[in-house]
Amino acid sequence: MDRIEAEGELTRLRDAIDRVDEVIVRLLNQRARYAIQAGEIKGHLNLPIYAPEREKEVLWRAEQSSEGPLEGTAMRRLFERIIDESRRVEREAASEGVKS
Amino acid sequence: MQKHTSDENTERVVAELIQRGFDVHRSTGSDHTVLGVVGNVETIDMREFELFDGVQEVVRVSEPFKLSSRTWRRENTVVTARGVKVGGEAVVMMAGPCTIENEKQLFETARRVARAGAKVLRGGAYKPRTSPYAFQGMGVEGLKLLRAAGDEFNLATVSEVMEISQIEKMLEYVDILQVGARNMQNFNLLTALGQVRRPILLKRGMSATIQEWLLAAEYIMSGGNYEIILCERGIRTFETATRNTLDISAIPVIQKLSHLPIIADPSHATGRRDKVMPMARAIVAAGGDGLLIEVHHDPDKALCDGPQSLFPDQFARLMDELRIIVPAVGRTI
Repeated sequence: MDRIEAEGELTRLRDAIDRVDEVIVRLLNQRARYAIQAGEIKGHLNLPIYAPEREKEVLWRAEQSSEGPLEGTAMRRLFERIIDESRRVEREAASEGVKS
Repeated sequence: MQKHTSDENTERVVAELIQRGFDVHRSTGSDHTVLGVVGNVETIDMREFELFDGVQEVVRVSEPFKLSSRTWRRENTVVTARGVKVGGEAVVMMAGPCTIENEKQLFETARRVARAGAKVLRGGAYKPRTSPYAFQGMGVEGLKLLRAAGDEFNLATVSEVMEISQIEKMLEYVDILQVGARNMQNFNLLTALGQVRRPILLKRGMSATIQEWLLAAEYIMSGGNYEIILCERGIRTFETATRNTLDISAIPVIQKLSHLPIIADPSHATGRRDKVMPMARAIVAAGGDGLLIEVHHDPDKALCDGPQSLFPDQFARLMDELRIIVPAVGRTI
């Protein structure tokens, strides 16, 4: 592969990553919407936002289902951040649910 | 969290933080789990969390001071007192006797320091003396003399306020109100000074950390008075060769953490006339915004701190030396 070809390939790969990112963002928002709905229900039922057992289950599932090249622990770290943000939107939704 | 602590321990901390309204960022490493706490952490005593099982250490990432912090305001604050700008390009010289003793002493000293290039006249009317038997100051009569000498030689004035009841009277005569090292954590006085609209010169307490000093400034600023000049004046160390140890490193440290101007007082820091000039040169070279120096027309007869007061001729010589140093650090004088 000469230099020009290599640069063309790099551009193609970056475009592909951009398209994947668009899908990830869409899916993360879809996930957050579900979390918000869950938060509203927790607010109504007066259930705690923080459900350690459920978080453990989500992390375990992400870790186990990863077929690589990202290893299980890497996937767990990424999902920890996703859960952190979900917890936050859930909490906001739950407190708004109580106020309204 | 501690190495290999149980999930239950981590969960208990997370649950407590969430219950108190914080967001938690959990990050699991190979040995340690780190919990990042996001929210208004000022409201809680982080030590509480150190008592939870499995917690190794609680570290505060954000600074506890806000208004005085450079995060809050990026540009340098320039404090203006009777037309004299502190914290701008010019290094400001504040000089005068430790204590106002009489008209002749004050006017003679003021005349000499003004001619040498000082912009602010210092002079104590209320003196916090270590001994109750030492001269306590002239009070309001001293303030009147200070104002008259300032007007005569076109100098702004700075004098120490020791208690709340003196503030009103001092506002009539003084352009910069000084809070002394011993009062740096007199929080009632600081709160009262937050209500006035007059520059404050806040000296560092002799055993105060830089954080405690900035929190003292925060007390004044939270009342709405943002015109604060910080003044390093030496801290207590084990060294006895000088009265205090001048912490010159406080200058760059403060300039990084805070937008407030910082000057230093080499007279109180060293307590010895022969040490004042070298330290004064070092303060300016380190980037200090000004100097507060004791000068007495006849130090041997001074009622207070004679041994650390410069002769007027020495002050003039110091000014000549500073005129050489100042351009090297990109300032004027």
